[in-house]
Amino acid sequence: MRLVVKAVRNRQARAWFAVGGVATSSLLVISLVATLRGAATSVVGYVGQDGADLWITPPGADHFLRLSGVIPAALTDSVRALPGVADADFILRAFVAVSARRHGAGFRLTLYGVGYRAPDGLGGPPKFASGRAPQTRREIALDRAAAGRLGVGLNDTVFVNGRGARVVGVTAGTNLLTTQFIFADAAAIEALSGFAGRASFIIVRLAPGGNADTVAARIRDRFPDIDVFDRATFVANSQRETGVGYTPILAFVNTLGVGAAAVLVALLMHALVDRRRTELAVLLALGAAPQALALVMILEAARLIVVGGVLGAALARLLAFVLDRVFPVIPLHFDIGDTLWTLALLITCGMLASAIPVARLGRVEPLEAFRP
Amino acid sequence: MTVLLLDGVSKTRGRGPHATQALRAASLTLAAGEVVLLEGASGAGKTTLLAVAAGLLTPDAGRIVLAGRSLAELSPAERRRHRAQVVGFVFQRSNLLEQLTAWENVLLMAQLAGRPTREARRATNEVFEALNIAHLAPRRPGELSGGEEQRVGVARALVHRPALVLADEPTGNLDGTAGRVVAEALATCAKARGAAVLVATHDTRLEPFATRRIPIVDGHVVGPF
Repeated sequence: MRLVVKAVRNRQARAWFAVGGVATSSLLVISLVATLRGAATSVVGYVGQDGADLWITPPGADHFLRLSGVIPAALTDSVRALPGVADADFILRAFVAVSARRHGAGFRLTLYGVGYRAPDGLGGPPKFASGRAPQTRREIALDRAAAGRLGVGLNDTVFVNGRGARVVGVTAGTNLLTTQFIFADAAAIEALSGFAGRASFIIVRLAPGGNADTVAARIRDRFPDIDVFDRATFVANSQRETGVGYTPILAFVNTLGVGAAAVLVALLMHALVDRRRTELAVLLALGAAPQALALVMILEAARLIVVGGVLGAALARLLAFVLDRVFPVIPLHFDIGDTLWTLALLITCGMLASAIPVARLGRVEPLEAFRP
Repeated sequence: MTVLLLDGVSKTRGRGPHATQALRAASLTLAAGEVVLLEGASGAGKTTLLAVAAGLLTPDAGRIVLAGRSLAELSPAERRRHRAQVVGFVFQRSNLLEQLTAWENVLLMAQLAGRPTREARRATNEVFEALNIAHLAPRRPGELSGGEEQRVGVARALVHRPALVLADEPTGNLDGTAGRVVAEALATCAKARGAAVLVATHDTRLEPFATRRIPIVDGHVVGPF
């Protein structure tokens, strides 16, 4: 069998071309899925942070992203006073334009501004890459990717809606792919957005031993015009909302990627049957079983797909490593389950695609070996 | 001992208006140790007769007994296994597998014939020695001359000690000396191993090695058979 495999196998150069094509498809698909994961992980990292046990939202808003309603910030004190509540803080969210130069000259970014009770109120940065939380209205903490794109670092000055602020913290896990977080004191965001006295959300930390359902029910009884979600539900809803935006695009591009890999493998196997026609005829004439030759062809297809797929997965990790250090804009987050699923999908589609040329093996007549 | 018996074998090739009667009630017998030349013009039916004899083509009529077994009574898989065990082929082009070395090409045949690995290796070394081509063993087909390739082809045909060697114009692509060397190697080595050899050819260089010559004209085996 080993010699039959060796006899039928593709030439090295051609095989490497196919492996390269499959690897590129694998790299594309795995990176795209990792991008979606990265955005979702950032949402989870922020919304699911310690202390955010309950989220109070404007009516109808069941997730963190893309909502425009507000609630009175003054509710915060009333909520804080409820039994079972250890602490409560409001956050005010507003999109802000941030540039490294005054008056927004040059490159600027529209960022997800989160105003909270700085420096240690609920709803602040979930994680710092460097620096600290803002302590005054003139200080901000900025997502690492945004800082990189703006070309600023700690102690640099950026202009938020035209007003200067010093970067005192660089945050991690706060990149939503299409935008990033910038954290400032709530008063600063109020001043920038014009939403004085309003809150986007109120975050509740439960007292030790406090029951989320009981406290949520208590809040709903007291304030029937607002919604309350426990952390798990709010995280799940926010993840769902992240996926709603990206999933159709990712599914489309991933389908193209998997399809391209499958077509490439099919073409290669097609060429293999054609180019190896005489060798296959000779093997059949000498007594090789057609089923054995088909198996060899299928194994050859599998070899190319598996090597290409795994190489693509490895390249994706390498690419992510390099991007994270050189240009940390895309929030790639790899999940072993996603990678295995992608490889399984690639292998399945590639094998199905190779079945057609392998079936053509049945048309090879051993008698062809006699033709000069 | 009769190695091959063809009795009234007919075969039509192609379909519809392109159909031609390639063999017409052809009959012949071959005994062990014989070297028989099947002589005829192009299109006379020589290759078809070889293919039918090997069980690569199923005849429309007639009976074929190969190494004691009637091919009509064998399933396709049994026919294939029987062919691998009792038939050796030498093609006009050597048809060595280009990805394999000469030694591996020959070893592969021994393995296809069902020889266990160790025995297959031993048989391969032995046939290379017998044909004085051990120095060619590590080379790939692309590194061999036409004559060398064909001698390796002969080794492949003999490695599993087949009862019957079928050769289709084995010297057709070779010049004088190379053709004579291959013809001699095929005839003497096959004879030494007790195989019957049926050679489709119109190369007169093979005549000194033949025990019989059988003309074939328009699918008729003219005899003597």
